[in-house]
Amino acid sequence: MHLVRDVLDKKLMDREDCPMGRVGGLVMHVGESGPPRVTHILVGGPTLWMRIHPALGRLSSALGQMWGPRRKEPAKIPWSRVETVGREVKLDVEGKDTGALDWEIWVARHIIEHIPGGGSEEEE
Amino acid sequence: MKKILQLSLGIITSVGGFLEIGSVTTAAQAGAQFGYKLLWAILLGTLCLIFLIEMSGRLAAVSKHTIVDAIRERFGFPFFFFVLLGTVLVAFMVLVAELGGIGFALQILMGIRFPWWALPVSFVVWLLMWKGTFSLIENGASLLGLVTVSFVVAALRLNPDWTSAASGLLPTLPDDDKSKYWFLAVSILGASISPYLTFFYSSGAIEDKWDRTYLPINRVIAAFGMTFGGLLSMAVLIVAALALRPKGIQVETFQQAALMMTTALPKWGFYLFALSMLFACFGAALEISLAISYFFSQGFGWNWSEDVEPSSDARFAFVYTLIIGFAAVPLMFGVDPIKITMMSMALTSATLPLAIVPFLFLMNDPIYLGKHRNGWISNTVVGVVILISFVLAVVSIPLEIMGG
Repeated sequence: MHLVRDVLDKKLMDREDCPMGRVGGLVMHVGESGPPRVTHILVGGPTLWMRIHPALGRLSSALGQMWGPRRKEPAKIPWSRVETVGREVKLDVEGKDTGALDWEIWVARHIIEHIPGGGSEEEE
Repeated sequence: MKKILQLSLGIITSVGGFLEIGSVTTAAQAGAQFGYKLLWAILLGTLCLIFLIEMSGRLAAVSKHTIVDAIRERFGFPFFFFVLLGTVLVAFMVLVAELGGIGFALQILMGIRFPWWALPVSFVVWLLMWKGTFSLIENGASLLGLVTVSFVVAALRLNPDWTSAASGLLPTLPDDDKSKYWFLAVSILGASISPYLTFFYSSGAIEDKWDRTYLPINRVIAAFGMTFGGLLSMAVLIVAALALRPKGIQVETFQQAALMMTTALPKWGFYLFALSMLFACFGAALEISLAISYFFSQGFGWNWSEDVEPSSDARFAFVYTLIIGFAAVPLMFGVDPIKITMMSMALTSATLPLAIVPFLFLMNDPIYLGKHRNGWISNTVVGVVILISFVLAVVSIPLEIMGG
């Protein structure tokens, strides 16, 4: 597998086939012995903006703590939960439990559901 | 049977969806000022669009990726972000122009000035997005857009000299006002080769669950639909050349543009023009709002579909809510939609390479398309037209700004 070509920026799907965003970054563990191995998938704003410039990453992280779901850490999904890597990266997780859908839920509850006809995110 | 239905709908979509404020304004200005001389720009733009639409349908049917999905995956986030920034900014300007077009059409029908229409019009567009489904938007807007066929009726009634019209299909240099001529050529190219149409089309192919069996139909839709659309634009130019040019009327305002239909159809012309613009701009406003939301949602991997409740794809719904709201603001302050149209069409040409060059790379990538990747003809036609549009845009936009 070619990590940058086959994994980075691929769409993430949870076990219910619900889109959870895209692979923003990968965490690797480099030990004293043995080859480096991927330990986590990172999802979310600060990781993405960091890829353009570190300052943008810090700004995104600071803004994220002032507004919205206020996550302190980026959503981290253990590599062990990866089921398949193909057209998408399929995960054996519940999307809502990983933190990757915090913004989706926040926008639904705080904005969309307050507009008539917006429906309820809970019904899903 | 389902596919035959899809075929006819696809062609209607393209006919009804092709004309909008950009094509009408640029073609009307070109005809009024330069006669048939700029018909070649519509021909070139339409040819390029046929290839681009076919390519975006093929990418979706074979790889199950929309263009935006594939750009993000293949080129990574930093590159994707700049494509997003450029494309969305220009598409936003076009949305402002379309909403202005609806306001203008209502102004000439009802007599109330267009800034007053900005909010109600944006609200209705938003409401249809909020409550409507993809096929309602695609087919409803396109069927209503068929009223634009009245431009063809008007062109035929004016008995054009077909030989001199045909000579306009080959580029010639104008005798005077060269900078305006080239600026109009660029704007016509931008109005024809709208990148948002390709995003919209490939997303539609995914929403309709296309697979490889749709490849032949995709070709027919692209070729026939876009050709009909191009012919509609040419009809506008011909009508303007025959009705406005002899009287020395140049299209600076919408009221002037509306006059072009009254020569051919004295009784109904004015109303047919207003209704054509109303429906065509309305359809285009819906398509652009959807295309911008698709761009964000697909690029960031959010849930997206026009066929589910807004709370099930909250960020998708939030993007179009925000975009449509913002687009109403300049119009409320009376910014001239014709000026925005001309500038946004030229800027579309200037930013074409940003979206289309990576798209061309994708279309040649065996990972995505296998044996269905582009041949040399598609690559050459699209590559050359995009290069011409870009070079003309870079040269003519500064000249127009300094001159105008």
